[in-house]
Amino acid sequence: MDEITSVFVTESREQIAALESALLQLENSPGDDDTLNAIFRSAHTIKGGAGVIECSYIVAFTHVVENVLDRLREHAINADADLIALLLGCADHIGNLLGVLESGAPGPDAELAADGAALLARLQRDWLSDGGRGTGLPSVPPVLLEASGGGAVESDCWHISVRFGADVLRNGMDPLSFLRYLGSIGRIVHLETIADAMPEAAEMDPETCYLGFEISFASGADKAAIERVFDFVRDECTLNILPPHSRLSDFIALISTLPEDSMRLGEILVRIGALTQDELEDGLRQQTAAPAGGVESGEVPAAAPQPIGEILVERKVVQAELVDAAVARQKQVTEKKAAEARLIRIQADKLDRLIDLVGELVIAGASVNLLAGRTGVGELIEATSLTGRLVESIRDAALQLRMVQIGETFNRFHRVVRDTSREMGKEIELSISGGDTELDKSMVEKIGDPLMHLVRNAMDHGLELPAAREASGKPARGRLELNAFHDSGSIVIEVADDGAGLNRERILAKAVERGLAQPGQSLSDAEVYNLIFEPGFSTAEKVTNISGRGVGMDVVRRNIQGLRGSVDVSSEPGKGSRFAIRLPLTLAIIDGFLVGVGNAAYVIPLDSVVECIELDQDGGARDYVNLRGEVLPLVRLRQLFDIQGEPPARQNVVVVQYAGIKSGIVVDQLMGEFQTVIKPLGNLFRNIRGIGGSTILGSGEVALILDVQALVQRCASREAQRADGADAGRAFLAAAVP
Amino acid sequence: MKTIFLVDDSATILLSISGVLSKAGYAVEKAPSALDALKTFQAGIKVDLLITDLNMPGMNGIDFIKEVRKLPAYRFLPILFLTTESQQSKKAEAKAAGASGWIVKPASAEELLNTIKLVIR
Repeated sequence: MDEITSVFVTESREQIAALESALLQLENSPGDDDTLNAIFRSAHTIKGGAGVIECSYIVAFTHVVENVLDRLREHAINADADLIALLLGCADHIGNLLGVLESGAPGPDAELAADGAALLARLQRDWLSDGGRGTGLPSVPPVLLEASGGGAVESDCWHISVRFGADVLRNGMDPLSFLRYLGSIGRIVHLETIADAMPEAAEMDPETCYLGFEISFASGADKAAIERVFDFVRDECTLNILPPHSRLSDFIALISTLPEDSMRLGEILVRIGALTQDELEDGLRQQTAAPAGGVESGEVPAAAPQPIGEILVERKVVQAELVDAAVARQKQVTEKKAAEARLIRIQADKLDRLIDLVGELVIAGASVNLLAGRTGVGELIEATSLTGRLVESIRDAALQLRMVQIGETFNRFHRVVRDTSREMGKEIELSISGGDTELDKSMVEKIGDPLMHLVRNAMDHGLELPAAREASGKPARGRLELNAFHDSGSIVIEVADDGAGLNRERILAKAVERGLAQPGQSLSDAEVYNLIFEPGFSTAEKVTNISGRGVGMDVVRRNIQGLRGSVDVSSEPGKGSRFAIRLPLTLAIIDGFLVGVGNAAYVIPLDSVVECIELDQDGGARDYVNLRGEVLPLVRLRQLFDIQGEPPARQNVVVVQYAGIKSGIVVDQLMGEFQTVIKPLGNLFRNIRGIGGSTILGSGEVALILDVQALVQRCASREAQRADGADAGRAFLAAAVP
Repeated sequence: MKTIFLVDDSATILLSISGVLSKAGYAVEKAPSALDALKTFQAGIKVDLLITDLNMPGMNGIDFIKEVRKLPAYRFLPILFLTTESQQSKKAEAKAAGASGWIVKPASAEELLNTIKLVIR
């Protein structure tokens, strides 16, 4: 795919998204001009771009859609639910056509073409047929040339008579460029400048054009082509074009309609060879005998552009002030909108390269820092720490480049919710908050599918039919919430509904049936609810179109875990359920907290660190400490990773938090904050739980990055493991290596 | 070398027109919105021709042309606007705002260059 096509596809996909959301908005505020204009503009931009890349099937389809939108914009038709649904269908179809273009196929296949034809037929029949604009171009009446009958003049040249309008110069047009251009489509045989309108020097306005031309023009071009030269000034200039061998009476009529002295004009025509002297005398005699032109020969007062010009200028000043005020007022509104539109497109590869380089810079910086520290030279240390701070700022700015707001992803669901709720006969209101929460672009792309699954599930299984809702004392209209926010180094995306909630008994029964739980096993609500994420679990009694197609919540969880995230569910019977997806903030570089155990160094993501405390001497053997009256479970890294050697007399505890649960990580040394460039682990080590990645220290050594989520969850589930009688630490590691 | 300033919110159009113009030996300046372009004009950029789309979010092309015409340095600047067959009614409005002429989209490279030759030498 060449560059223009790829730009076109990207741009058009954005336009389709904009088109969709505007159409949905139109549903709430039909007839809103701004919305209608935005809709039209989107379709128009797509069609324009398609024309440029010569993608005829997109042009043809979008053209008809645009015609309908144009009528809508002019309020010739109204946007009812049918039309909006049809137009949404059209937007989908354009999306499909873009897919065809992307795939490199020469055109849509038969099925898609039939879909398109069906949509077009409906548009034509229902919305364009009542004598509207139709799809054709406005027909131009053919220019009829008068047949040269008797009395035709001898000259075989075209005769062009033009008087430029007073404002031509002020509109950025130079009469000379017209004449030059004319010269490029034929030969100017003779040209006479008519400066009769020119006033006295003192009265002359240098910005006003007073000139006209009589031109004898030899060319094989047709009349339309010659007229086209003057297209831009057509409305404000007086233009007469007479074909070769026109009738004498046409010339006489021309002379009489022009403002200049007839006699002098006649002489000019003779001089440039349009007429012979005989023809002129003949013609003027005819005219005097029968003044068909309606204008008497003789002195015709010259047009007086000067006073009009002055009045125009005066009037313009007044207008300018009015325009100024209006524009100033509009500016305040438009400036904000434009700020959103001020975007630069960059290839993602370039950004990734930049971030890679920044990563290397951070590592190199750490090395410099370390070496400077060893020298003990105060000034050098000072200078490197300044550099370090700048590198940190560069790192943040570079990472920020990859961040996009999740709002765009959320907005897709307006359409989904609308379509699905109609299909299921439910009334659902979608409420979105935190759309400005930013996360990595790559993550935004991958979170769409799991999110879609959760939303569909909530609509299908969560929210009840209006009658059932009313019966249980709730408003008929169900509520679906999408929410995003930051929480201790993670991004949380919530999908919540106010439906029936999860059914504990049914889930448990199903889990027992599927062997996911033991009969009689006592499980907390949270444990039961989380069973729905187990592979092979589905409680939907009938398979609907919307969900329950065999792709279960386990896939959702797996996708989210693939992004180093987690998903949890909480629910209250009769009140609804809430799914919370937690994702790490970024993938490339983080602020870390460096700790040492034995000879090894580990990095704990700083965002998850709450505080550091010293481990009491006597607390050496226990698996928990008393943290200001709270029980804080401990993870001993020395034990967990089977590190040889005796622990030092003084050990430290780093208190970390994930999803509201705190744990303590027991380490030998605290080594302070460290900018951490995350390097993925090799395939062999990728599945080790408790380790999230690796990084390179300033000394060139490798440090492992701890996966706080896994460690905290390990603490939470340790009781259960204990019950099974296994040694907690070893069981954990054994389970980790597949 | 003549400089042509191009304003369109469609990246596809910007890319394609500027390609044709550069190949024909013009220097091309581009802006994705009228407000961006207006800033450049207010800063006094030297151009020989302005080509602008009419239908753009933020400031539309017609208001933009009016604003440019108000700047003394551009009172005689040739200004062409991009339009389509279906937008004939906009022509008069744009002309009244101070436009010199128009280019009907989609235009072939030849049509485009011919129209430009009509307004700049």
